[in-house]
Amino acid sequence: MSAALLEVRDLRTHFHTRAGVLKAVDGVSFTLARGEILGLVGESGSGKSVTGFSLIGLVDPPGRIAGGSIRFDGQELVGLAQPAMRGLRGKRIAMVFQDPAATLNPVLTIGQQMAMAVQAHGGGGERAARELAARSLARVGIPDAVARLDAYPHEFSGGMRQRVAIAIALLHQPELIIADEPTTALDVSIQAQILAEMKALAKESGTALIWISHDLATVSSLADRVMVMYAGRIVERGPVAEVLHAPLHPYTRGLLDSLPALATPGQRLAQIPGSTPSLLSLAPGCPFAPRCARASTACGTDPPQVGDARHGALCHHPLGAGP
Amino acid sequence: MLGYIIQRLIQAAFVMLAMSALVFVGVYAIGNPIDVLISPDATQDIREAAIRHYGLDLPLWQQYLAFLGRLLQGDLGRSFVLNIPVLELVLSRLPATLELALAAVLMGAFIGVPLGIYAGYRPESPASKAIMAASVLGFSVPTFWVGLILILTFAVNLDWLPAGDRGPTVEVFGVGWSFLTREGLAFLALPALNLSLFKLAMMVRLSRAGTREVMLSDTVKFARAAGLSEFTILRRHVLRLISIPLVTVFGLEFGSTLAFAVVTETIFSWPGVGKLIIDSITSLDRPVMVGYLVLVAFLFVTINLVVDLSYALLDPRLRRGRRA
Ligand SMILES: Nc1ncnc2c1ncn2[C@@H]1O[C@H](COP(=O)(O)OP(=O)(O)O)[C@@H](O)[C@H]1O
Ligand SMILES: [Mg+2]
Repeated sequence: MSAALLEVRDLRTHFHTRAGVLKAVDGVSFTLARGEILGLVGESGSGKSVTGFSLIGLVDPPGRIAGGSIRFDGQELVGLAQPAMRGLRGKRIAMVFQDPAATLNPVLTIGQQMAMAVQAHGGGGERAARELAARSLARVGIPDAVARLDAYPHEFSGGMRQRVAIAIALLHQPELIIADEPTTALDVSIQAQILAEMKALAKESGTALIWISHDLATVSSLADRVMVMYAGRIVERGPVAEVLHAPLHPYTRGLLDSLPALATPGQRLAQIPGSTPSLLSLAPGCPFAPRCARASTACGTDPPQVGDARHGALCHHPLGAGP
Repeated sequence: MLGYIIQRLIQAAFVMLAMSALVFVGVYAIGNPIDVLISPDATQDIREAAIRHYGLDLPLWQQYLAFLGRLLQGDLGRSFVLNIPVLELVLSRLPATLELALAAVLMGAFIGVPLGIYAGYRPESPASKAIMAASVLGFSVPTFWVGLILILTFAVNLDWLPAGDRGPTVEVFGVGWSFLTREGLAFLALPALNLSLFKLAMMVRLSRAGTREVMLSDTVKFARAAGLSEFTILRRHVLRLISIPLVTVFGLEFGSTLAFAVVTETIFSWPGVGKLIIDSITSLDRPVMVGYLVLVAFLFVTINLVVDLSYALLDPRLRRGRRA
C-alpha cells in the first residue's frame, strides 16, 4: 500500500468550559489508507463526533485542537489557516451528518444547495453546477435527478434526504468522507440499503471513509478496520473480523454482548453496567475501570498498549491473556 | 394556494366588519358632537335641525347600518368641522405618512438587519457589544426627545437639514410624493431617522437572535463542511432562514408606524394623518375619527394578508397543492 492518506498522531481536542477543561479527544492516533473504510464506534459521548470535526477543522468553540498532528496527503492540517482549510473542505475532505432533516436548508431547493457547494470550489456557471449536481444525485440512486433539483428537502423521504446529503458530499469526488452516524436517524431497512450503497460508492471511486457509529453491528458490515473509542481514547483497534471474534478490551466485549445479532440465541442481552464517565472529572488510569469486571488496582495507572500493530488495545487485563 | 388566498380574504372581510362596528360604537359613545358643531347660544330649533341633518337622532344601530352602507360605497361621511369628505381628507394626508413610515421601516431593515446579523455572528466582539448597547438606547430613549436632539444637532447647530415640514412633491398617479426630489429627501431625512430608531433597534435584536440560533444549526455546519465561505453562508443560508420572523415584524411595524407616527409628525410638523387625527380628536370630529380608524384597520388587515402570503413565498413548506 502506498503512503497513508491520513495520519493522525496524538490528537487532543479540548473544550474549555466553565466547569473546567473537557478532554473530548485525548490522544488519538491512527492512519488511514486511500480507499480504506474505517469504523469508529463507541457509546454516545465518547468523542467520535469531535474526532470527526477535528479532522475537518470545524470544532465548535469553546473547543480547540490542543495538540497532536493531522497529516492529510502529507499536509499538516493542525494550525492550517482557515482559507486553506476551507479549500479542502467539501473538495478533498467531505462530511455527512446524522440528521438530514437538520442539515439541509428547508427553504432552499436541492439544486440551489448543491450549486452553492459546487461554486464554493469555483465550479463554473449555473448550468455546469446543475449538471454536476444532477449526476451526483443519480449516482446515489435518486430517480429523475434533473427534475428533483427543483424540489425542496421536505418533498423527500428521510432516506432520500440522506442520499441528497451524500450526493453533496460526493460532488467533488473527495478523497476522504467522514460519515457521522448517517443512518442512525433512518429506518432499519433503509439503513442497510444506504450502507451497501456507500460501501459500493467508496470502493468504486477509491474514496476513503471514516464511518462513525454507536452501533458495532453497522460498522462491522461495512468497514475494513474498526476503532473502539471510550472517553476520548481509542481503546481497541484492528481488522473487523478479529475485533469481532477475538476482542482484546473488556469494553469491546461488552459492546459485542449487547448486540442482538451477535449474542447467543436464548441468552439475555448483557448491558455494560454503569454509564460513560464525565470527561470533566476523569480519575487517572483506565477510564473504563469503574465499569469493568476485570479491573484491579493496576487499573489506577495508565493502561499499556497490548497486542500488535494490526490488532491492539489499551488494557492492563486484555481478554484471552488470563485475568 | 388559491383556496388559501380566498380563505384569507374572507377572514379579512370579517375582521374589517368587526373592526368597523367596534370603532363606530367606541367613538360614538364619547362626547356630544353637536356641542362642537353649533354655537352654544343657538335656538333649540336650529339645534334639532342640525341633529336631524347629521342623523344623530336615530338609534345607534341605525346610524351604524347607514354608516356601513355608505362605507361599502367608499363614503366615510363628511368632516363635521371642515365639511369635506373624510375619505378625501384622509387620503390627502396619507401619502405623507406613507412615505415617512416606509422610509423609517426600510431604514430600520436595511441598517438593522446587517448589524444584527453581524452581532449574532460575532457575539463576543467589541463592535457587536456596541451595537447591542446602542439598540438598548434605541428602545428606551423616548422618540420626542431623540427628535428634539436631532433637530438641535442637524438643523439648528449644523444647519445641514431642515427642522420640519415636508419638502416639494412630485405628482405620480395623481398623488404627491416628496421623496422623489432632492429637497424632499432632505426634509424627509430627520423625521424618518427619528421614526426608524425603534424599528432599527428591534430589527437588530431579532436578526441577532435568529442568527445566533441558525449559526449553531447543522445546516450551517454542513454548509461549512461543504467548503462554503462564511459570507455565502450568512447571505444565502442565514438571511433566508431568519427572514420569516423579520417579515412579520416588518409588516406589523409598518402598520403601526403608519397609524402612530403622531409624535414624530408633531415634532417635525409633518403634514400626515397623525396630525389629522390629533386635530379631529380635539374637535370631536367623529366622522374623521371613525373614517381614520377604519382606514387604519383596513391597512393593518391588508398588511397582515401580504405578510401571510409572503410566508408562502419564503417558506416552501407552507405552499400547498404541491407534490409531497
Ligand atoms: N460544543 C461543545 N461544548 C462543550 N462540550 C462539548 C461540545 N461538543 C461536544 N462536547 C463534549 O465532548 C464529548 C464528546 O462528544 P461527541 O464527540 O459529540 O460524542 P459522540 O459523537 O461520541 O457521541 C462529550 O462529552 C460532549 O459533552
Ligand atoms: Mg456524535
